[in-house]
Amino acid sequence: MDRYLSPPPTSSVAVCVWIPLFALRCEEARRPELASQPSALLAPDASRRVVWQVSPLARHAGVRPGMTVSQAIGLCPALRLCEPDPVHYDERFALLLAALARVSPVVEPAELGLAYVGTDGLEGLYGGPEQIVEAIKRGMRNAERGAFDPASSSSSAFRVPRSAFRVGWGQGKFVAWVAATRAKPGCAIIVHAGEEGKFLAAQPVAVLPLDPDAHRRLRQLGLRTLGQLAALPEEAIVSQFGRAGRRWWRLAAGATAEPVVGRVLPEPISVSLTFFTPVADREMLVLALERLIERALRHPRRTGWRVQAVRARAELERAASWLAAATLKDPSADRDHIAAPLKTRLAQAPPAGAVERLVVEFTAFAPGTAELQLFARDAGAAARAGQRRALRSAVQEITLRLKRPMLHHVIEVQPWSRLPERRYALIDYEP
Amino acid sequence: MRNGPDRLRALNVPQRVQVEVDGRGTPAIVKRETGSATRVEAVGEMWRINDEWWRQPIVRHYVEVVLEGGGRLVLFEDQITGEWWMQKP
Repeated sequence: MDRYLSPPPTSSVAVCVWIPLFALRCEEARRPELASQPSALLAPDASRRVVWQVSPLARHAGVRPGMTVSQAIGLCPALRLCEPDPVHYDERFALLLAALARVSPVVEPAELGLAYVGTDGLEGLYGGPEQIVEAIKRGMRNAERGAFDPASSSSSAFRVPRSAFRVGWGQGKFVAWVAATRAKPGCAIIVHAGEEGKFLAAQPVAVLPLDPDAHRRLRQLGLRTLGQLAALPEEAIVSQFGRAGRRWWRLAAGATAEPVVGRVLPEPISVSLTFFTPVADREMLVLALERLIERALRHPRRTGWRVQAVRARAELERAASWLAAATLKDPSADRDHIAAPLKTRLAQAPPAGAVERLVVEFTAFAPGTAELQLFARDAGAAARAGQRRALRSAVQEITLRLKRPMLHHVIEVQPWSRLPERRYALIDYEP
Repeated sequence: MRNGPDRLRALNVPQRVQVEVDGRGTPAIVKRETGSATRVEAVGEMWRINDEWWRQPIVRHYVEVVLEGGGRLVLFEDQITGEWWMQKP
C-alpha cells in the first residue's frame, strides 16, 4: 500500500491533547450515574482480574490501578466495577482524532486519550498559539456535541465533560506533553518558543519516560527536577543510565524536540462509467452505482480504511449535471451500506435527464477495523467486547421482562483463599 | 459479600444444616433446612481450616460424607459456634 502514499506529514510545534482516564470517561458518558459514585474499570486482558482505571472518588477511598478486586472492594465497599469495552473506547477515540483532524492535517495518536496535533503553518489560518489552541478546544467541544459531523448532529458523537481534556503547547512532543499534564482541566498551557528551558527546569523528573527503578535511582542521586538533571554533564548521565539516560538528559535540557508525525490519509478514490447511450432508467443507474462502489472498494488505496464520505455525480445530456453526497455516520466498507444514502437520493431527487457518465468518489476515510483496535489490548479483548454487544440486547430484553438483569459474571475475588466462599463472586452483567 | 444493592454476591456460601453425631463425633444424620433427614452411610476425608486468627478466628472441621442413597456432601462444623454447615469443597 505504501507506494500509493506520500510520506507522513510532520510538525515541530506540537499541541498535546490529553483526556486522563479516557476509558472511564467513555463509560461515564454511557452511564451518567457512574460520575457520582466511586467506580473502576477492570483490566481488559489480565489473567487475574485487576483494576485498570480508577475514578477520583474511588482513588480517594484508596483504590489504585493494579489492585485485585478483593483489595479494591475491601477498601471501598461501594465501588462500582465495570467490565471494559475496548472497541467502544477505540471508536470514541477515533471520533476524537477525526475532530482534531479538522483543525490540523497532522494528528498523531499516542495512546488512548492522548494525541498530538502538529501546528506548523496553521498561523495563517487561525493566528497565534492562543487562537490555534482555542480552535482545537472548539473542535473538541464540537466533537463532544457531535457537531463536527453534520450527518450525526442529532446525537452526540463523543461526550465527555468539558473539563476532562487538557491541552499543552510547545516545541516538540515532550514539552507539549509536560504542559498538558500541568494544565488544569479544560485549560491549556502554552510554552512559547525560547521558554522551554525555564518551563522544564521546574518540572519533576517523573514527567520523563522512566521505569520505576530509574525513577528510584534518580531520587537516590538527589535529582528531583529536570533542571537539576540538565545541570549535570550529559556524559555523567549517560555513564549511569546508558542510551536512555542520554534521551532523558536531552529531553530535560530541551535539547531535543521530537516532531509530531501525522497519519497518512488516503487521497480520494474516483471511479467512473461512461454509458454507450445515455441512461434514464433508474434501475439501471442503481445497478451502475453499485458496480462503481464495488470497483472503488477494491482500489488498493482503500485497503485498511473505511469510507466516511461518498459522492456520486452524473454528467447529463445537454451539459447538465447531478450530484448526491453523503457522510456516513458509521464509516463502512460494505457496498450496500455505502450505496444506501445515494440510492435514497436517486429515488427522491433523480437526475433531470439521461446520464452520459456516472462518477463515484470516496472523499473521506476512517481507520479500518485493524487500526481501530490499535488500542484494544489484544484480539481476545476485542472479541469479548463484540460478544458483549451481542448480549446487550438480550440483557435489555430480560431486564424488561423480569425487572432485573439475570445474567452475571463470575469474577475471581480471592482464588487462593482457603475459605471456598471467598474465592469467587457474581457481579451483575450490565452491558 | 455485597457491593451495593445486588452488585457483588459471593459464590458457594455455606448453608446451615442440623447434624447428629455418633459417639466418635462424626456425622450420623444430616437434616437440611427443608426438614428432610438423611442417614450418613460412609465418612470420607476430613480436614481442618484454621484461618484469620489475627482478627476474627475461623476454625472449621470439614467432613466429606456419603449419604444413604448415594449422595455426596461436604459438611463442616464451625468449632467456634458449634454449628454445622454444608458447602461445596
